[in-house]
Amino acid sequence: MSVLTCAQVRELAPELALGVLGGAERAETIAHIKGCARCQAYVLELTEAADALALLAPEVEPPAGFESRVLSGIHADRRRDRRRWFGWVAAAAAAVAILSVTVVRVVESGDSTTAAAPTTNSAQAPVAVAMHGGAGDVAAGWAYVSSRHGVAVAVNYGIPAGEYGIQVHPVGATPVVIGTMAVDAGRGSWTGRSPPALSEGSRIALVDTSGREVCHGTVPAAE
Amino acid sequence: MWSVSDDALVAGVAAGDQEAASAFVRRFQRRVYGLARTIVFDDRAAEDVAQEAFVRAWRHAGAYDPRRGSVVGWLLTITRNLAIDAVRVRRPVAFDPVALVGLDRVSEEREPHELAQLSDDTTRLRVALAGLPDEQRRAIVLSGLLGYTAREVGEMEDIPLGTAKTRIRTALIRLRAALVEESAE
Repeated sequence: MSVLTCAQVRELAPELALGVLGGAERAETIAHIKGCARCQAYVLELTEAADALALLAPEVEPPAGFESRVLSGIHADRRRDRRRWFGWVAAAAAAVAILSVTVVRVVESGDSTTAAAPTTNSAQAPVAVAMHGGAGDVAAGWAYVSSRHGVAVAVNYGIPAGEYGIQVHPVGATPVVIGTMAVDAGRGSWTGRSPPALSEGSRIALVDTSGREVCHGTVPAAE
Repeated sequence: MWSVSDDALVAGVAAGDQEAASAFVRRFQRRVYGLARTIVFDDRAAEDVAQEAFVRAWRHAGAYDPRRGSVVGWLLTITRNLAIDAVRVRRPVAFDPVALVGLDRVSEEREPHELAQLSDDTTRLRVALAGLPDEQRRAIVLSGLLGYTAREVGEMEDIPLGTAKTRIRTALIRLRAALVEESAE
């Protein structure tokens, strides 16, 4: 529960919308608007005007070859993500022994990395959960849920340094913190097991030491 | 690909379409690089920021929600946040921030009713900004475009923190009101 009143949040809303509010004020303002539709609407209105300011910057032709360098960067990121994801999957599998080598090799068919997961009964491929947080609700990272109990979380944008709890909230159940993650220089990751089963509609969140969400995602339907 | 809407282009990027990714970069690279360069000044650093902005946009294209705003607004928000992070030492601005974005060239002789006839969103914004007092205009450009906090604006403008906060808040609220009023006409 936020300690700020609506009047106080309206004072802070412009700075939040501009992305220049920091520290406890930012966390408390976000906590308030998550539970107050009126203040949330106000912040969103101001955010539209604030975002429009970025349009004022002059358009400048980038250096020659920029497009090809960007596309190379995207391809490299895709390969890096696949290896990183695989690392999480392997760690989750080692922790919960739920994924078969066959499943991992099928998903990683383009990758020469060999699987390290133990062999058990085959289970569904991990479900990807986009994590959102911060002012403007920019994407903060990803979570992966494998066979309802294996959880891997990684954030790489917009989360202040500190210790965070990984909280899961299955539909119709009470939220529970299943682990803690340290975020440093904007990045952090965690792999472990959720005792409560997670399925479509379950919520995964990072919470600060006061229990306030800094980012969250909702598990989509498995494909 | 040139006839595809911004939203459809992002959907193509999210689906892993290579052509969509190329078209997406070509369509927005001038704006992204232009904003990055405006904030970080250095060409090389600006290119790094711009490249990372496109990588992040690609990475999170599936999470883009058209109800939350335009594609260019979403992409430039990513760019702006990365650019601000990249500027490790926030040195005082050695130029007039208002002149930087060409606001000093906006005619202040336009009649208010003329605003509704302007088709360019940026032009409407520039005219709305031109209607602000000088100190509020400087504060909102420093903060909203260049990402300076209220404390930094206060130090640069040599004003108390409270005054800087008030200028920023008042400017944004007035800006929002002016843009909403024009779009309602």
